[in-house]
Amino acid sequence: MAGICDRSKDIGPFVPQADDDLIICRCEEITKGEIRKAVHMGLWTMTEVKRMIRPGMGLCQGQTCSKNVKRIIAQELGVSPAELEESTARPPVRPLEMEVLGNEVEEL
Amino acid sequence: MRRYHLVVIGAGPAGLSAAIEAAKHGMKVGVFDENARPGGQLFKQIHKFFGSKEHKAKIRGFNIGNELLKEAEQLGVDVHLNSVVMGIYDPLHITVAEDDHITSYAGDNILVATGASENMIPFEGWTLPGVIGAGAAQTLMNLHGVKPGDNILMVGSGNVGLVVSFQLLQAGCHVKAIIDAAPRVGGYGVHAAKVARTGVPFYLSHTIVKAEGNEKVERVTIGQVDSHWQVIPGTEKEFDVDTICLAVGLSPMSQLTRIAGCKMVDRGGLVPETDEYGQTSVDGIFAAGDVAGIEEASSAMIGGRIAALAAAKRSGFVTEDEFETEYQNQHASLMKLRKGMFSHENKGRTDLVKTDEGYPLSMSLLKNGYIAEDEIGEYPGVGRTKKVGVHPVIECTQNIPCNPCQDACKFGCIEVGETITSLPVVKEGSKCVNCGMCVASCSGQAIFLVDEEAEEGFATITLPYEFLPLPEKGDKGTALDRSGKAICDAEVTQVRTSGAFDHTALLTMKVPAEMANRARFFQKREGVR
Repeated sequence: MAGICDRSKDIGPFVPQADDDLIICRCEEITKGEIRKAVHMGLWTMTEVKRMIRPGMGLCQGQTCSKNVKRIIAQELGVSPAELEESTARPPVRPLEMEVLGNEVEEL
Repeated sequence: MRRYHLVVIGAGPAGLSAAIEAAKHGMKVGVFDENARPGGQLFKQIHKFFGSKEHKAKIRGFNIGNELLKEAEQLGVDVHLNSVVMGIYDPLHITVAEDDHITSYAGDNILVATGASENMIPFEGWTLPGVIGAGAAQTLMNLHGVKPGDNILMVGSGNVGLVVSFQLLQAGCHVKAIIDAAPRVGGYGVHAAKVARTGVPFYLSHTIVKAEGNEKVERVTIGQVDSHWQVIPGTEKEFDVDTICLAVGLSPMSQLTRIAGCKMVDRGGLVPETDEYGQTSVDGIFAAGDVAGIEEASSAMIGGRIAALAAAKRSGFVTEDEFETEYQNQHASLMKLRKGMFSHENKGRTDLVKTDEGYPLSMSLLKNGYIAEDEIGEYPGVGRTKKVGVHPVIECTQNIPCNPCQDACKFGCIEVGETITSLPVVKEGSKCVNCGMCVASCSGQAIFLVDEEAEEGFATITLPYEFLPLPEKGDKGTALDRSGKAICDAEVTQVRTSGAFDHTALLTMKVPAEMANRARFFQKREGVR
């Protein structure tokens, strides 16, 4: 983590790639190019990218794409994916209707 | 709030085994699973399991699932289905969405056994309908009776890719190829061989370039990769397929342990750090099965039992001494599975050239999915000398933890020995009675009964056969060699089925004598009797 916390590191300019229009997050339809651009906007963590452009915030909650999103961010930053922290996990871990969430039943 | 001595999240092999173990020791157990049916992946596993008797070897996965369910029920375990655990809260509470409401439960201990989900790799066209996980294909076929497609490309040659490919063939699909970016077949050689001999080609060091189609997958392009995983121009090949199955690894579904504040480590996916008993960094929260590190179902079942024992000790249901004895038993059983070529320490190695005994590994098996004809005689289950009469030929050439063949032969022809990863040896001078138990018991479908001189000029070969409709005596067709190539005419002389064979039919075919050590599969010629 230490390496990527140093925001003064020069990661170079955003250079378009042939597969930038490849969809990475299917639920929210976020492309590889959008994620790469976000990194160059200064969003260097999974949490920041997720909050800004929403990969992993759809129906599957990042179950499908988070590994790939992580790999793309890491590649752009020139670090190993293992150095990136996962975005915060918080309940509910599955999409849940407000109607259900608001209906708490006590089982005895 | 309802309280359990042990709350288990996930009713797969690890979770159910843990529930059983805990209930046996007097704990009140509640198991929660988001699915409509319990059993996790077990009920999709229609193949026979590896291991030894204590690991339920040669029993089909779904039958193991049924056994576990029955046992859990008899022990009074509460199994909550369609119950999604939304979060874990301090102190050891879970909130569960069930039907139209949420309910909280308290646990003296919580075991997270939520398993894993399939990895996806993005490539051009990967969002087209028809690109699915191999596990999804398995769910369609084995739980819902739906054929995923007609023409399939399998991506990934690990055990998942190989086992699902075989199941796709059983379902009547045409598997056009199995590809893998790695230079070696990742799964058990025996799984690869049983697919290869039906005629499925393997392309190692190959990746997907793109999938194309109007509205859905109609075509896929693959290409060979160089040492930097880049496609070498000019090596592209096209296949007409309607389905692409991805079997490119699993990721632990460890969100709940992260929510609970467990210390995590990255092992190709975040897993909670645990001690040898499955205890995470948060006192009272345990993890077992794939969520604690990707392995297979047999290890998951033992891991679940160990975690349950640790929870039982923590809550005073077993004494320190009882725990120690039972833990040692489980641990010993687990260590047996974790030996050999596919153990943790050897996983992904590409430099292995010899078995533990010093036999050369079949390079053709690792590269093409089948053992080459000049390699096969090297192994102790085959041998180079010609034998008289019917005898077993065991094409088991890698150190995998499995030994049912040894017990299957009541006449002492087969020896694996104490170390269950050793290659089976066909003992010199032993008398085979052609009972076929070894053929049916081999989870890898790697045992054949061969009679090189069954009659003048002809040999007979008995092979395990798991396709429907079953051929009948007198059927004429073609014999395929280990690579799936048609080599000669063949005639079915016998088809044996028996309860003891557990749905593995024993097909005996007659081939010209010189084909005795080459012919390994039978393909019926349509309309010919």
